[in-house]
Amino acid sequence: MNVNRREFIQITGAAAAGIAVSGLGFDLGPVRAHAQMLKTRYAKETTTICPYCAVGCGAIVHTSQKGDGRVINIEGDPDHVINRGSLCSKGASLSQLVENSRRVTEPLYRAPGASDWKPVSWDWALSEIAKRVQVTRDANFDKTNAKGEMVNRTTAIASVGSAALDNEECWVYQALLRSLGLVYIEHQARI
Amino acid sequence: MTKAFFIDTTVCTGCRGCQVACKQWHDLPAEETENRGSYQNPSDLSAMTYKLVRMREEEIDGKLRWLFFPDQCRHCLDAPCKGTAMYEEAIYQEPATGAILYTMATRELNAQEIIDSCPYNIPRKGPDGVLAKCDMCIDRVINGQLPACVKTCPTGAMNFGDREEMLQLADRRLGEARKKFPKASLLDPDEVSVIYLVAYDRSHYEVAARARTPEGLTRQAALRKMISPLTRSVAHIG
Amino acid sequence: MTNHWIDIKNSDCILIMGSNAAENHPVSFKYVTEAQKKGAALISVDPRFTRTSSKADIYAPLRSGTDIAFLGGMIKYILDSGQFNKEYVAAYTNAPFLVNEGFGFKDGVFSGFQETPKGPALGKYDKKSWAFQMDEKGVPKMDRSLEDPHCVFQLLKKHFSRYDTDTVSQVTGTPKASLEEIYRTYAATGATGKAGTIMYAMGWTQHTHGTQNIRTMAIIQLLLGNMGVAGGGVNALRGESNVQGSTDHCLLWHIWPGYLATPSTKWPKLADYLQRRAKSNDPLSANWWQNEPKYMVSTLKSFFGDAATAENDFGYDWVPKVDAGTAYSWLDIFDAMYDGKIKGFFSWGQNPACSGSNAGKNREAMKNLDWMVNVNLFDNETGSFWKGPGMKPWEIQTEVFFLPAAVSVEKEGSITNSGRWMQWRYQGPKPLGNCRPDGDMILELGDRIKALYEKEGGVHPEPIIHLKWDYTTGGAYDPHKVAKEINGYFLRDVTVKGKTYKKGTLVPSFAFLQADGSTSSGNWLYCNSYTEKGNMAARRSQQDASNGIGIYPEFAWCWPVNRRIIYNRASVDLKGQPWDKDDWVIRWNGSKWEGDVPDGGWPPLESLTNPNPKSKYPFIMHVHGHGQIFGPGRSDGPFPEHYEPLECPVEKNLLNPRMVSPTAAVYSGKADMFATCDPRFPYVGTTYRVSEHWQTGLMTRYQPWLLELQPQVFVEMSEELAQLKGVSNGERVKVSSARGSLEATAIVTKRFKPFRIEGSVVHQVGLPWHFGWRWPASGTEKSANLLTPSAGDPNTRIPETKAFMVNVAKL
Repeated sequence: MNVNRREFIQITGAAAAGIAVSGLGFDLGPVRAHAQMLKTRYAKETTTICPYCAVGCGAIVHTSQKGDGRVINIEGDPDHVINRGSLCSKGASLSQLVENSRRVTEPLYRAPGASDWKPVSWDWALSEIAKRVQVTRDANFDKTNAKGEMVNRTTAIASVGSAALDNEECWVYQALLRSLGLVYIEHQARI
Repeated sequence: MTKAFFIDTTVCTGCRGCQVACKQWHDLPAEETENRGSYQNPSDLSAMTYKLVRMREEEIDGKLRWLFFPDQCRHCLDAPCKGTAMYEEAIYQEPATGAILYTMATRELNAQEIIDSCPYNIPRKGPDGVLAKCDMCIDRVINGQLPACVKTCPTGAMNFGDREEMLQLADRRLGEARKKFPKASLLDPDEVSVIYLVAYDRSHYEVAARARTPEGLTRQAALRKMISPLTRSVAHIG
Repeated sequence: MTNHWIDIKNSDCILIMGSNAAENHPVSFKYVTEAQKKGAALISVDPRFTRTSSKADIYAPLRSGTDIAFLGGMIKYILDSGQFNKEYVAAYTNAPFLVNEGFGFKDGVFSGFQETPKGPALGKYDKKSWAFQMDEKGVPKMDRSLEDPHCVFQLLKKHFSRYDTDTVSQVTGTPKASLEEIYRTYAATGATGKAGTIMYAMGWTQHTHGTQNIRTMAIIQLLLGNMGVAGGGVNALRGESNVQGSTDHCLLWHIWPGYLATPSTKWPKLADYLQRRAKSNDPLSANWWQNEPKYMVSTLKSFFGDAATAENDFGYDWVPKVDAGTAYSWLDIFDAMYDGKIKGFFSWGQNPACSGSNAGKNREAMKNLDWMVNVNLFDNETGSFWKGPGMKPWEIQTEVFFLPAAVSVEKEGSITNSGRWMQWRYQGPKPLGNCRPDGDMILELGDRIKALYEKEGGVHPEPIIHLKWDYTTGGAYDPHKVAKEINGYFLRDVTVKGKTYKKGTLVPSFAFLQADGSTSSGNWLYCNSYTEKGNMAARRSQQDASNGIGIYPEFAWCWPVNRRIIYNRASVDLKGQPWDKDDWVIRWNGSKWEGDVPDGGWPPLESLTNPNPKSKYPFIMHVHGHGQIFGPGRSDGPFPEHYEPLECPVEKNLLNPRMVSPTAAVYSGKADMFATCDPRFPYVGTTYRVSEHWQTGLMTRYQPWLLELQPQVFVEMSEELAQLKGVSNGERVKVSSARGSLEATAIVTKRFKPFRIEGSVVHQVGLPWHFGWRWPASGTEKSANLLTPSAGDPNTRIPETKAFMVNVAKL
């Protein structure tokens, strides 16, 4: 593998240990000794593409290799030919999207008439959804239309989404929906 | 060779990537803000906000201009705050970069005195009494990386490098900018390590850029009388 | 984008209109700035002075919804001043084509118009009179001198003769001097070797005449010879990281992967479908779509694998058909849902309770659902619609399942940017908590549905049971397996041009796909993206083209077949030599093309009178191979025409006697209220985005760092309007339309100025649509789409969220 600019900087950067800079004030010792350690020093590096607008900027994700294995930093990828390391305010905030205490981390279910959500298992949620799909589809499946032409579809189920999916996910999703006979298939590109 | 920033406000789009990248790298919390009839937020620098893009709408020569000014510590060559503190464990100038660094020991200083000493009204006192401001991302710089705000800037408004290189870039960009903006100038290039290029008279920019005392005399000029600024040998325009 | 992001740096003049690139695509300004530093002019046209305008050399305001008038004036200027690129126009566009003598435009409609008694479309066209005149061989008759009164060029001239700057200025509110300065500056790119580009986005699409906004600009680009060249093109700045890819893979009712037509009752059998494309009798027209049968059959093979056979028409009968002439679009979905006709609903990575036009109608509609599946990172206004403002949860019987998704950095796969670059992403951390990648959810849901039908049978089970669904490795979703399926395989040993490709190998490119079932390809447009040479989207080469135009041919992968600039055969003259000698894209070296992947390897035309018979015209996706100045395929006219938005502030259209696009889609249920020229709603309203948030805010409102920058919904207005309403800066106000209202903070700004329209003062206000009641939790409405109308473009049915009428009142 060729050593690119980013890796070069990393390789040639200070190797000595020190105390990482925290938000408010810091220790002068390592600064004086030029021995400050980057908070990303021992992190796993992966490249990604920003999930916001469609410029397609490259970013580097630093994931801690110890403890909880979570993201500690995300910044622009200097070897990405479009953004050359830059990111706007949204891209620069990406780490806070991932590491966000308000993310929902369990499937939830809201029963008819209920006033709140309750957590459920994946197994239960997916099985119940599959059953709903079958019941609604089979009760509302049109083999022919009003003119008697073969249509083999259901117009009782609709899907919207999503430009937030990866290409491969989009493809399997549309294949699944079309195999079920959906024609109401739309997403962000329409609005 | 010390380091310098060159901030070309003529190409700043006010995207504020720098403002967020600064918080991201420093793990600084967000402030609770409200819209006060402007895009600029927070309203001012704070112990949680080292970098702030100030925004101002001005009609200049009959044309509307929306001026963006990414404000931050200038890392003065001869910093009044450091001179005021006279306490290296609290306010330290890192010799290789010229970065002016505040430590936890700033708690022990008279905060108001330090803040008042700044020609650009930059330092802010945190709830724990520690003074805070831009640290030039000294950890990154020592490790051969660009400050977070510079790296994230899409348009080349934020630049960082060896002082001479930045001065040359500033001079070149000033020359180019003057074709579009005849009144463009560099702000205090002889005194600071964060050199701004502005398109119009500095009076059009936010209060921080023009750094005036209540008396009308620029704080800069007032301070210049008290401190002896370094002069540099490189000729430059403006 | 026909071009791509880096290519913007090659432009001599950049028009940003219908988009706000500095705010919504901030990194694009890396290249806008670079172009400006090299001397390019930046023009910003927007109802409001934006961060884009702040960097522009020329800024001009225009009233929302009047872009066709503005650009129509530019067409007239270009034709009158003779600044069009005559050589290019005569050779590469359909300007020389002769149109049927029956074609005309009168009383605000084109020939063939019929009102339709039943909506949503107001009317429709019989397009017979819009056809081209054909010679005895069935090839369009042409007058390359552009002088025949029935040729497209002369018809264009006549059509836009009404668009003089005085009239345009009256309609748009743009000062006449600004119009002239912009027309002059942009028309200068008609010179040989100069390139002008357009950066547009939803500011052009979200209108009842959105398609024609873009058509108008496309005509300008063709007239100036700006298509196919570096620094040119028609560039839609797409708004979401993979909205290009999700469109290419066709999560849309009207198209199948790779822009194949959705099977319809119009083509009841596969044979009908495979014969549906128009033929060209011109040997110089590549008419690329004649290859559609290979792509469709290969797609069906990817869907159904071995179960798709020639005998069963590759499963064509199994797949759903739409009714010919009926739309199943976003607006139609919520209309049907509102009427109780939809029972089950997937909202997968989307938030229609805030993103949809007339959002209040959408929320009411959701009450009629039996069940909803909401997949997202955070709870949103859609999943929790039943407890939103004004809702009574105990009365709402909808079951809702919320499935928590992994963030992009927690999974692996590819996305396609606006420049058509497919780029691979890798997994950093594992999904948080019990979150799962969408791919795992989709596969597992499919498994369970398949198991139900395999066990119990059910109605029409064949497509479900036979759906090829082998995309896991070690029990988990494997994006590489899907990426390979999308690219496609040889399904048996196939010999193409003397070379044999073994069964099971990946197809090198779509030129190898077959219509006999011997190849699969989930999406022909992506065939070449994942081949025996590896995953092309993961490439990282820093090597640029020899002349440094920013193509980076081995960085990532670009559809089609890694062609970075589409229609690049129009970037050269008839001899194959580039119009622009420095920023050239391709050139003919006497035996082959150099540079970018050309639009086909055929040799240059050499001459129009005596063309090389082995050559092809450059616009290969069009039946007749020419760029379409005349666009007879559109449902609202072959030429653009200015019509007012459905809701507008004027009582008269100064350009023709019709107010609204005669074929606009306008819904007419109980929740579809409209108010035009209504004193209750006297101000033009528009919606937009800001740099610091994104879409309905689901992926930005939850980040404290972004909320700090833009904490709440606001409405921007001029100092003049604020004074009129007694509103001061920062004050809270109520904004209302015929459909709904919300409270917002007033930003009183010099950046909005009142318009002078037809002698009267017209005020406009604007709001971002990033906010909602769910978070930050305030319990009050914050979504700007409560105001917007359920009416849409005749071709696309994209809703008209960029121009509508509102009122503003102090609280």
